[in-house]
Amino acid sequence: MKNNLFIILILIISVSGLPFLLSGFGVDLATEIYIMAIFAMSLGLLMGFAGMVSLGHAAFFAIGAYTVAILGQFINNVYILILSAIIIAGLIALLTGSLFIRTSNFYFLMITLAFGQLLYALAWQLENWTGGADGMRVSATLDFGFGEIASPLAIYYLMGIAFIFVYILLKLFVNSPAGRIIKGIMENPSRMAALGYEVRVYKLLVYSLAGALAGFAGSLYGYFNMFVSPDLTYWKFSGEVMIMVIFGGVGTLIGPVLGAGLFIILQNFISSYTERWQLILGAILVLLVLVGKGGIIHWFGYFKEKFIIRKGTKNVETSKPIEEEREVIT
Amino acid sequence: MTLLKVDNISKSFNTLQVLQNVTLDVQPGERHVIIGPNGAGKTTLFNCITGQLPLNSGAVFLEDVEISKLPPNKLVHLGMARTFQKNNLFGDLTVKENLHLALTALKPYRYQLFKPLSNYSDLKKETEELIEQWQISDRQNVKVDNLSYGEQRLLEVLLALASKPKILLLDEPTSGMSPAETAQTSEMIQKLPRSVALLVIEHDMDVVFAIADRITVIHHGEVILSGTPEEVRNDDTVRQIYFGGGAKAHA
Repeated sequence: MKNNLFIILILIISVSGLPFLLSGFGVDLATEIYIMAIFAMSLGLLMGFAGMVSLGHAAFFAIGAYTVAILGQFINNVYILILSAIIIAGLIALLTGSLFIRTSNFYFLMITLAFGQLLYALAWQLENWTGGADGMRVSATLDFGFGEIASPLAIYYLMGIAFIFVYILLKLFVNSPAGRIIKGIMENPSRMAALGYEVRVYKLLVYSLAGALAGFAGSLYGYFNMFVSPDLTYWKFSGEVMIMVIFGGVGTLIGPVLGAGLFIILQNFISSYTERWQLILGAILVLLVLVGKGGIIHWFGYFKEKFIIRKGTKNVETSKPIEEEREVIT
Repeated sequence: MTLLKVDNISKSFNTLQVLQNVTLDVQPGERHVIIGPNGAGKTTLFNCITGQLPLNSGAVFLEDVEISKLPPNKLVHLGMARTFQKNNLFGDLTVKENLHLALTALKPYRYQLFKPLSNYSDLKKETEELIEQWQISDRQNVKVDNLSYGEQRLLEVLLALASKPKILLLDEPTSGMSPAETAQTSEMIQKLPRSVALLVIEHDMDVVFAIADRITVIHHGEVILSGTPEEVRNDDTVRQIYFGGGAKAHA
């Protein structure tokens, strides 16, 4: 619990303090990172807490973004738009999920991939609604009832607050009865059924929640980017967010956040030197997977074990460090 | 009233007939042990009773309610719990966390999304009671993967007991145990309160005769005999099954 408050405090301090250190471009980049962090956390929830590896998660992000773009032409109300983005993405996740969760492992990966590609084709084909391959501008304005939020700094803080809000929400979720049960189902579904749990209900629950959150991230992205295109639901984008999760560390919440940050910074940094940034990013990914001990977040645990815990724990039971480490990283 | 009634059930896998017209019953509080050679169909019988496998014919009743078509998780809510022949635990979690998971299964707040599990004091209390009752307080924070095999077998039973079942199905509770652990487990099973009926699959004859009120012998998927330990001990057919046809030729 102390650790949780500590992490949240660090997040609040960094979100509020960063603009004083960053240039205008840096603030923009950080804003994008917050949005992607929400998106990455939603996939991280699926992958690391429910064991459901989806390669079509961008579909829900795109649903959120397109909801703001399409509905925003008729209703310019930020509350209604973001709420409908969340609800539509969540509902579609619920409907498709009720079919998808019957599969597992590779089949789940393939069917979610196919779903993402299906939406990609739809976004491409339904030109009258989506603008087809050209994408469409977002005309809705960010106005919560006290004037339009237009300055990059204000948008930065808005996304920062949304990010911290989602982090706290997910933190509560993974420690709630339902969250613990979902983790138990990931580890041992047959035993969970034998203990009396409705395994499918929980899988559907977490899939819908992750879909709704991705929709939320997508709606924020629509407002931030002012433009949406079919690429948002292309499998490559789903793959990128999966890389963010793996970069940061599967099985934790803060891991995907760090992964999103590192990914976007590297992408911008390397691509300013060479067009072949993907080659370098790929090499880094390979290196991280091979020697990274399961993502950046685990370096902290490793570091702590090596340099901090070591001092006073010579006589402590073997079970103790495991527990402490786990508390840090979840 | 009969607690569990298995009525004339059959089960085959393709052409292999595994269970053939098996009928047995368990009375409230009874200790009913199923014995039989390897491959007799004992575990399949368990899987059919607890809804893991669909039946080909026949029916299973729990307190006169037909449960043959219910999935395993529903049966827990009706008062039936089981353990597994192979340890089926949450190896990455501690003993306490395993018990939490087992105890939450029947709580109304199992669908609660945003309140920490650690806030529920009844859960904490019941966990502590179980830990105290079975004297495992020194192991409660140990990761299950780091427990000894015998301790894991014990936890296997505790997880099933957590739902306070009316009937508990134990699938070879002493399999793979050392003689000392087997004796301990046998003692533990005898200590279980009579409010829970037991249906036990067991190979170790010392354990069988120590706990059984009634024994059912299964061979090639059929019930050969069902009776008191004394009847089973003195039955010729049972001896033949266990000591082989050769003994008969010499006799």
